[in-house]
Amino acid sequence: MNLPLNRNRPAIMHIDLNSCFASAEQQAYPVLRGKPLVIAAYTTPGGCVVAPSVEAKQFGIKTGMTVRDARLLCKDIIVRDPDPQLIRDIHLKFRKVLSDYSPNLTPKSIDELVIDFEGTLSFKRGLVEIGKEMKQRIKKEVGEWISCNIGIATNRFLAKLAASLHKPDGLDIVTDKNLREVYASRTLTDLNGINTRYEARLNACGIFTPLQFLNASLDILKKRVFKSINGYYWYLRLRGWEIDAVEFARKSYGQSYALKEQTDDPKKLIRLLMKLCEKMGRRLRKRNYQAYGIHVALVYTDMTYWHMGRTLQIPLYSTADLYRKAVWIFNRQPQQKKVRDLAVSCFHLESTQPEQLDLFDSEMKNNKNVIKAVDAINDKYGELIVTPALMMGMKNVIIDRIAFGGVSELEDIYLAR
Amino acid sequence: MSEVINEKISVISFYDRNKGKSWPVKFFWQGRSYKIRQVGYHWPARIGRKLVHIYSVVAENNTSFKLVHDTETLHWILEEVIDEFAT
Repeated sequence: MNLPLNRNRPAIMHIDLNSCFASAEQQAYPVLRGKPLVIAAYTTPGGCVVAPSVEAKQFGIKTGMTVRDARLLCKDIIVRDPDPQLIRDIHLKFRKVLSDYSPNLTPKSIDELVIDFEGTLSFKRGLVEIGKEMKQRIKKEVGEWISCNIGIATNRFLAKLAASLHKPDGLDIVTDKNLREVYASRTLTDLNGINTRYEARLNACGIFTPLQFLNASLDILKKRVFKSINGYYWYLRLRGWEIDAVEFARKSYGQSYALKEQTDDPKKLIRLLMKLCEKMGRRLRKRNYQAYGIHVALVYTDMTYWHMGRTLQIPLYSTADLYRKAVWIFNRQPQQKKVRDLAVSCFHLESTQPEQLDLFDSEMKNNKNVIKAVDAINDKYGELIVTPALMMGMKNVIIDRIAFGGVSELEDIYLAR
Repeated sequence: MSEVINEKISVISFYDRNKGKSWPVKFFWQGRSYKIRQVGYHWPARIGRKLVHIYSVVAENNTSFKLVHDTETLHWILEEVIDEFAT
């Protein structure tokens, strides 16, 4: 198979807000503008930098560093907590502006959106002109300090690559004419979806640059590098053919927490597990689901990990059900070590609507009524107003956060408005 | 420097009927008045079903304030102060 480059007119646009969390904070608090700022999960020295501002990036500060390391690179760095409500509002305004141009809008994360212009009236105007207009409207309608990168191409993969070419505030188009030139200026790990492990695989097959990756035959990619259908997908993707326009249905609900105080004390960990189950259960029930599977994952301070999942015969609905099973799995750890990350998720979802009625009043039905009443109180007065006793004194632990790449979280945001 | 305050304050706000928008223009805190030079951002948020409006504003002394207007009780709360020497 010898597939040519996609020579169609580019119709996909990828829009990415620049340093979203930090820019949002600088938008809200003008005294922080023009200053090196990082948004960190915790403001303590061990806290992880979630987003550096454009000014902080100039000092070499990157996402994933600790606050301690960021301070070593820039002693005057300003460190702030993320403000989830502010970021969510910016996302909604950002989405509202872009939805005027096409109905085919796909949020990829809290700060990224993809628009497919194929068949829309706006397509006739030219995407570069539309891109420039969007930038102006975002500044006017979202905030003057908010800027974005725009990439235009024939598929989602190249549009994202185009959006990464000139940061911040870039607008680039990748077509069959400049595709080779763009690949020549990038490394393999600059390509979205190629991490260091894939890079090592490609290197082992004599592929060291994106251009060599493009020139590799389908047989090499499919049979030697990826050894799966992924090789075919990459073959199409690199040539500008669409393969990523897939929307995945909701398959699970999960919560995770990076521990502020890393511990191996099961009593403390189980309390955290309870709070994670409560947050997960609230989301599960809000969308009228119950789960037939549960999974617990732990990452230890020595960077090893352990996880286990179980499929069950009876559905899990209440926080107590989820918690009991999560603890049952948690207690199966082969050894107790200091934990740094704790995660719980539930899967094999089934809708609770329409509800199967029992012939007789069962205990489960009564429990469901109590759970619904408690959820209604929390809906009215705010999260965690009524909680299990095990969660006493935990109001400020595992607080509201924005998930990385959390597309699934976005549906909760749209639901709330 | 930034500091969490969480104190009730008195506020003078302005409503523009053409824009359908309202924003604070002056507030009083600890015996002093602060004239608002700029509203950095305004966003609504929910605490349960209760709606609050959050305004991040800059006063004439070049200090940023986070003001929260509770639509249920009509209280104005000064939640946080951030000055230009923030760390």
